[in-house]
Amino acid sequence: MSELLRLENVFAGYGEAVVLEGISFSMEEGDSLALLGRNGMGKTTLLSTLMGAARHHSGALHFSGQDLAVVPAHGRAHLGLGWVPQERDIFPSLTVEENLTVVSRPGHWNLQRVYEMFPRLNERRANMGNQLSGGEQQMLAMGRALMLNPKLLLLDEPLEGLAPLIVQELLAIIQQLTEESGMAVILVEQHARQILPLTRQALVLERGRAVYLGESATLRDDRELLDSWLACGTTPAAH
Amino acid sequence: MKAIDIIHAEHRALGAVLQAFRFVLDGIRDGRFEPDFQLLAAMIEYITQVPDKLHHPKEDDYLFVRMRARIPAAAGLLDQLEADHAEGARRTAALRGALVHYQGMGASGFAGFDAIAGTYLDASWKHVTKEETELLPLARQSLTPEDWAGIDAAFEANKDPWSGPTGEFRALFSRIVNMVPAPYGVGDAGVPGA
Repeated sequence: MSELLRLENVFAGYGEAVVLEGISFSMEEGDSLALLGRNGMGKTTLLSTLMGAARHHSGALHFSGQDLAVVPAHGRAHLGLGWVPQERDIFPSLTVEENLTVVSRPGHWNLQRVYEMFPRLNERRANMGNQLSGGEQQMLAMGRALMLNPKLLLLDEPLEGLAPLIVQELLAIIQQLTEESGMAVILVEQHARQILPLTRQALVLERGRAVYLGESATLRDDRELLDSWLACGTTPAAH
Repeated sequence: MKAIDIIHAEHRALGAVLQAFRFVLDGIRDGRFEPDFQLLAAMIEYITQVPDKLHHPKEDDYLFVRMRARIPAAAGLLDQLEADHAEGARRTAALRGALVHYQGMGASGFAGFDAIAGTYLDASWKHVTKEETELLPLARQSLTPEDWAGIDAAFEANKDPWSGPTGEFRALFSRIVNMVPAPYGVGDAGVPGA
């Protein structure tokens, strides 16, 4: 596997404000990384920096052999970055199928494969974006990102606000993506214990700085470390 | 994945279906949903087969055996949990029979099915809660690293909470998610006019 993404001592934020301080890590093609931390620690800012939506102050940002810092935000999807934002950003006045095809790029992922992964989207393909439930919107947001055929998929809290049944289904799909698709994935989540088994690496942010970078399995097995940084829940949903 | 993480993950997957089953029962009772027997049968298949075929055998054969040997004070708790597991087959048969009866009787059969399903759900949640709040903390506290090495290895061979050893439950879980109405699922089974 060759290197896909490398950050070296990256400082970034919004305007003059610096949120991320000295972030460094790298990923290979097909790699997976859990990006963890409590609210407001800089996880979404890191994804926004990769997508060009936050201000990159200094440090090296390399993606697929190119200097990402000089690529404008609108060019980053073409380079192979697929983003599923927390807000999902479904086009409300387009149908499900139009939402999927409006951004599609040639590659493994096409309408048929996305519909096989999310059969409900096929059933709802003629419905407008604003007629979907929260779970359907999240599936559409993930399907739309896959239609870009990205080399690196960025998932920003894809389980947030969803019922446990849908959460479990999306976790199984994310596991399939990380294990079988050959696509690299960065997964931002609050539910650390649920996503650490799905990823190879983990990066924990605290106040914009990296406090852990290493194997997900090592972090998963250290309960004290997890609890001190992340306040993890383990029990099933309340009934 | 460690054995305790696998048990937690399987409890979460099972709990999600138990919760959705309660939601569907409430909806039928309140008149918001019509009975969809394919959905009811699929949920009953999952909540009975996954514990009986996937989850409980691992606990009985590995975790409980080590705990009995290492923690004499756990005998009473383990007896209760093993009795629950053994009782599973009888409760499963009762629930399946109640569904067949409901399907045959139509609307007048719902009350009986609702009562048996409610008893099943209550017993399942009580069992899961007992394992989460009593069994697993005790196991974590009392078993040695050598105990865990053997248990983890046995669980690792069968670790996916959605699939089962040969993937037989993965499609069933997806089918349930795609049938249960929002907000618990993404489907519209039983929704009038859907």
